[in-house]
Amino acid sequence: MAEFRKVANVKVVPEGNMKAFEIGHHRFVLCHISSGIFAVADECSHDSAPISDGELRGEEIICPRHGARFNIKDGSVKAPPALVPIDTYETKVEGDDICVLLD
Amino acid sequence: MNKTSTKSSLESEYLIDEFAPALERGPQWLRERRRVLRQEFNSTPLPRRGLHTWRYTDPNKFLIRHDTVLDTAFDNGYDDVEKVELAHLEQGHLSGLVIDHGGREIKLHGLEELSEKGIVVTTLSEAVSRHKELVERYLYQLVNGKTGKFEAMNGALFNDGIFIHVPNGKTVEKPLHLLHEAGGENSANFHRVLIVVGKNAELTVIDEYGGGASDIDRGVSYTNSAVEIFGFEDSMVRYVLFQRQAASAHLYLTHRARIESGASMLTIPLSFGASLSKQNFGVILNGEGAESKMYGLLFGSGHKHYDNHTLHHHVSSRTTSNIDFKVALRDRAVSAYTGLIRIEKGAKACEAYQENRNLLLNRGVKAETIPELEILNEDVKCSHGATIGPIDPLSVFYLTSRGIPQNEAVQMIVSGFAESTFKQIPKGLKERITDSVAQRLEDI
Amino acid sequence: MSDSAKQPNSDLTNLNNDYATKYGFRDPVDYFHKGAKGINHEVVEMISKLKKEPRWMTDRRHEALDMFFSKPIPQWGNTALLNEIDFQNIYYFVKPVKEMSKDWDDVPEYIKKTFDRLGIPEAEKKFLGGVSAQYESEVVYHSMRDDLKKQGVIFLSMDGGLHEQEEVVRKYFGTVVPPADNKFAALNTAVWSGGSFIYVPPGLDVKIPLQAYFRINVENMGQFERTLIIADKGSRVHYIEGCTAPIYSTESLHAAVVEVIALEGAYIRYTTIQNWARNIFNLVTKRASAYRNATVEWIDGNIGSRLSMKYPCIQLVGEGAKAEVLSVAFAGINQHQDAGAKVIHAAPNTSSRITSKSISKDNGRASYRGLVKIYKNAVNSKASVECDALLIGEEARSDTYPTMEIDNDQVKVEHEARVSKVAEEQLFYLTSRGLTEDEARLLIVNGFMEPFTKELPMEYAVELNRLIELEMEGTVG
Repeated sequence: MAEFRKVANVKVVPEGNMKAFEIGHHRFVLCHISSGIFAVADECSHDSAPISDGELRGEEIICPRHGARFNIKDGSVKAPPALVPIDTYETKVEGDDICVLLD
Repeated sequence: MNKTSTKSSLESEYLIDEFAPALERGPQWLRERRRVLRQEFNSTPLPRRGLHTWRYTDPNKFLIRHDTVLDTAFDNGYDDVEKVELAHLEQGHLSGLVIDHGGREIKLHGLEELSEKGIVVTTLSEAVSRHKELVERYLYQLVNGKTGKFEAMNGALFNDGIFIHVPNGKTVEKPLHLLHEAGGENSANFHRVLIVVGKNAELTVIDEYGGGASDIDRGVSYTNSAVEIFGFEDSMVRYVLFQRQAASAHLYLTHRARIESGASMLTIPLSFGASLSKQNFGVILNGEGAESKMYGLLFGSGHKHYDNHTLHHHVSSRTTSNIDFKVALRDRAVSAYTGLIRIEKGAKACEAYQENRNLLLNRGVKAETIPELEILNEDVKCSHGATIGPIDPLSVFYLTSRGIPQNEAVQMIVSGFAESTFKQIPKGLKERITDSVAQRLEDI
Repeated sequence: MSDSAKQPNSDLTNLNNDYATKYGFRDPVDYFHKGAKGINHEVVEMISKLKKEPRWMTDRRHEALDMFFSKPIPQWGNTALLNEIDFQNIYYFVKPVKEMSKDWDDVPEYIKKTFDRLGIPEAEKKFLGGVSAQYESEVVYHSMRDDLKKQGVIFLSMDGGLHEQEEVVRKYFGTVVPPADNKFAALNTAVWSGGSFIYVPPGLDVKIPLQAYFRINVENMGQFERTLIIADKGSRVHYIEGCTAPIYSTESLHAAVVEVIALEGAYIRYTTIQNWARNIFNLVTKRASAYRNATVEWIDGNIGSRLSMKYPCIQLVGEGAKAEVLSVAFAGINQHQDAGAKVIHAAPNTSSRITSKSISKDNGRASYRGLVKIYKNAVNSKASVECDALLIGEEARSDTYPTMEIDNDQVKVEHEARVSKVAEEQLFYLTSRGLTEDEARLLIVNGFMEPFTKELPMEYAVELNRLIELEMEGTVG
């Protein structure tokens, strides 16, 4: 049963920043950009590196290992060597809390 | 348990303190060794994720912070399995039973007969004085700080362990059963086993790992175990690992055996439990005519993450080895298997075989396999194979068209898949294993 | 720069000279422009300026150079040898003539002599459609057959491609091998020079194989050619690459990047015989993307060099795409052939087959490093890998490191590897029929390599057999 779980206070992920979290068997990154807070799986689809070790640039997250880039809103591939998109998680902000839909 | 991801680093909270209580245990020589191992742990960086043995598993998960780990976290009394095995002992199926709670509390049962024959089964804390020479000579020889960071952790922090010595020429007919129980949530347990089997001697050991709490969100039950086995000339050793830890468990286990000329070794790793386990099995063939066989069976369900490594290291000529490692996965389970066969330059006329078969029972599972060969001389016969795939739908159809329900058909096929491994398992344990497999195949 | 339709030539059938005389020579160093040794942003700017490149390419070079500096040397593989490379002690750009020749007649005499020594007579041979000969870092001579050109096949040097087909190059350059991929891809992207650019228009079946080969001369020269091949929908093309080089005493670095794109329904076969001299480091990134129902085949032979690290890769990104890699490595005295293959299944109904054969002799070391990766969405895919290693001699070494990462249950993956020595029974059978032991061993080795050699165009098969014979005799190295 998937439900929204409180993950962190908004202050923990200020705008322009990202932070990795692990809940149960889910590992994901919360990214705070001007248009909102988005969550993507913390694993590059190319070689399984944690993309939270990389860089958040505009609407894209850049994997540090080989430069693969993904759009954080829909997980789509924006630059090789990635070939396959990464999973995204639905988020919502309730008051001061960032919540993520997890099963 | 919610936690933010930690970058791989030597964050000071994860180092082993100067005066950790566990380090004060044992005679002077042991305390000195522990200190060295502590230093080795503290100065070794975490394994890099790029290394193929760590590609699929996060090494951070095997670190602990002393201040968040409770020393005693056991449920009261014995669990059901302890009762079952005590019953087996009573019925004469076992030659002895050792129950080890977290490496802290070890109880020995039914060892009088073995004792009379001169076969030693005792705790390491006893053995360091009663069998000082043997322990001093063999402890830490195969699994130590050079093996790896987490092996150094075990070497420094293990509380008490099990020591088994079968003198030359003696045979232990029935299996000796070791039952290691992990503590509840937020506990850390360090087990150590040292087995020395003399020339022409024979021993079967069942090394079972159970326990642990069932809700990982409340805290991890962490177990770190090191097993060292020495098989001298013409000896015969059977080592069965049965891992069925509960859902909150993280297990790190390193097994190393060294066998001399004419000796034979049979290793049977059976893995069914724990939320995350990294198990490393190795046999060094150190004398002509030595022979090692491994039959592994792993059954993953739920979100379990298994990472297994096997090693057959041929140091001497005319040695043979064979690995048959089978994996069956359902739900969202993940298995990573790396297996290395290494044949040294002077080791001529060796034969080494390895096979890893992965059966994927539904969508959403993940299997990784890296069978490796490092062959340094030409006079070898060596091959390895790996397969990954689902059950052949034709096989299922064959059975269901004969009136067998789908569920049962799958069970039969998986049993058939695991048959060659089942055959190797000692009686008594075998029934428990087949039950375990059946349980995990429910409503596939 | 236009290409004239002059008679090309490249016949490798002149094999009567023995290896040392044929390949062990050096030309007097008489070059037009030799940059200073070492690598930095000035060198990169100079390379780009001399080639008169558009600004976007210059910017990419600079970005890539920064990536090169920030990445460490790989911590796997033959790290001992890799750490011997002294990047600041290499020339990164040498231009042997003022501009690209239009006619074979315009090619300077000493260059022609080099090609003669390699056994390339002027007369055209029927197998070939066109040839571009890489000499040092620049394509010296380039010609193409009229009819190919008329059909719309574009076969240029990479420099020519950048100038004449800028939009196409810009669209595909770096999309298959991005500069951040690995240290040597970053280096190549920064200092690349030479290589081939090929575009085959939709539906065209190029019946004649396209061919190029390379050479290094100046001590401490680096070879950084960049090749980009695009086969548009439904087209078919076979590209062949074979290199030879003289023997010399200081190390030399060859870090090439090859990007191959097979669009929907296309077929590309890329054949390489690598026979670099024994002190060369051959570190190559070769990768292909195969789209819907397309097929890519790498036929890869590694005979020369001191250390070769090459893992041809095929990404199956469209449904129904197919991949085949057939690789052979021969590691003789002091050599390390670290080869392999990678196939990524990122679409449903894709299939792949990797066949790798290696021979290690004396103290040679042959390694197979491979990857089969099947993503969650690649349902109904099939992959098989077969590695065979033959060891000859007590010091020979063979390693196999195959990785399989499977994220899908509706697939079939098989892997098999065997390592053995030349079988006593086989040797006995042949020697008892009058062959010497050496002859028998050679016959067995040829038989072992047969699945590979039968895929090669004839003159390559002949050259390869000749090279294997020399290797077995131990007259090389």
